[in-house]
Amino acid sequence: MIILIDKRFVHNISFMDWFYRTEPPEAQEPKELSVLPDIPLTVGEVSGIIERLLDDRQLQEIRVQGEVTNYKHHARGHRYFSLSEKGGGSMAAVIKCVMWRSDAERLSFEPEDGLEVIITGSVRVYPPHGAYQIQVKEMTRGGAGEKYLLVERWRKELAAEGWFAIERKRPLPSFPTRVGVVTSETGAVIHDIRTVIARRYPVEIVISPTAVQGEDAHREIARAIERVAGHVDVVIVARGGGSFEDLFPFNHPDVVRAIAACPVPVVSAIGHEVDVTLADLAADMRAPTPSAAAELVVPDRKDLRLALRDLRCQLGGALLSRVSRAQDDIAALRDRLRPQRFCRKIGEKRQATVDLSDRLERSFSTRIERDRLMLAEMKTALEGRSPRAVLARGYCVVEKDGIVVKSVDALREDDRLNLRFYDGRSRVVVERVDHDGNL
Amino acid sequence: MTETYEEKIEQLRLIIAKIEDGGTSLDESMKLYEQGAALVKQCETLLAGAEEKITTLSRDV
Repeated sequence: MIILIDKRFVHNISFMDWFYRTEPPEAQEPKELSVLPDIPLTVGEVSGIIERLLDDRQLQEIRVQGEVTNYKHHARGHRYFSLSEKGGGSMAAVIKCVMWRSDAERLSFEPEDGLEVIITGSVRVYPPHGAYQIQVKEMTRGGAGEKYLLVERWRKELAAEGWFAIERKRPLPSFPTRVGVVTSETGAVIHDIRTVIARRYPVEIVISPTAVQGEDAHREIARAIERVAGHVDVVIVARGGGSFEDLFPFNHPDVVRAIAACPVPVVSAIGHEVDVTLADLAADMRAPTPSAAAELVVPDRKDLRLALRDLRCQLGGALLSRVSRAQDDIAALRDRLRPQRFCRKIGEKRQATVDLSDRLERSFSTRIERDRLMLAEMKTALEGRSPRAVLARGYCVVEKDGIVVKSVDALREDDRLNLRFYDGRSRVVVERVDHDGNL
Repeated sequence: MTETYEEKIEQLRLIIAKIEDGGTSLDESMKLYEQGAALVKQCETLLAGAEEKITTLSRDV
């Protein structure tokens, strides 16, 4: 195949000016290209075209992660090696790299075969070998070390954005109707959560399945959270234990933001208790294990029953004490119905009555005494006037046939008369009757 | 299990507090007690009626 090309194009290519910094190439005069279609290109010309094609932004100043293989530390200080990606069979890929002395001098570590590194550099063509390679400007340890640093950077950035702020934490609903679970739909995690929820308080579980590790896991997890958020009252984001690498997606800002943006509270249970991911920091509550997360989101029916029983007792107790208070009120009212004042009044009346009766009695007895005295006097006076008293002075009373004889006229000779003396009687016979002369 | 369980429990607490409050008449207290007893029953029914249900969302949505 013959490649035709505009010669002006070729002129513009700056030939590998970077490549021969230490060994500058011979000045290669770009050849005048024939405009005729049947004249072939030189190798150098094609090589130039390839280089120009590779001079693409996608291949310049890029970061590439891979494992170092065929590492050679050249005597002049340049480093030659390959960056490999281990994959299953055909997935494997290798790309050659060179790092010039001036850049290699800034290395903070000595690379070696098998080391996972991240390089920054640009893909270039090396025409003498007909090969492309990455000219490496920087190299850092890849793998965990690099990822730790990355997580640290994300942590700072996300913290600065306020995603981890305590004020953002929301309380979990006490009685959720539906619980969302973002996790792998297979495996122990979902099983544990289901078991705990079924035991404590069987509610509806909405599983939003997602990959929990791998290249694209962070995007999947974030989407799974968004998908389930609108259907549930609380979300559990869970993953079983794993290496730092395994848990890495849960540090990704996509996941952190999805959790923070979730309209309902999120409980995280990622890895073991010692593994704290950024997702855990963003969650409203963090549980040490998926089972613990399940315990946090639903109440225990046993506890609820106990609490309900307590309330029922309180209810009954409240009514009973209300009734007994009513009884007390009645008793108090009854007491008030016979108040002291009333009692005192009755007492006073009673006293007055007693006094009156005393006075009455007293006045009676005085009166009686006086009367008795008077009576005695009168008796004495009366006795002074009694016929007996006259008789005692030497007189006697003459009675004829039971009648007191006041005049001698009533008497005849031989009348039988009664004489009453003060101390006895006598029966006499009239011998003679004499009248006084002047009668 | 719903918000209404929570609401019912809250109502029950209020009722108990009202009965305990000296200002509530005996008559009113008896009525409140009846309401409270009904709430307890409803809560028990709710607790007994909860059932496990599993839904799995499609990944494609």
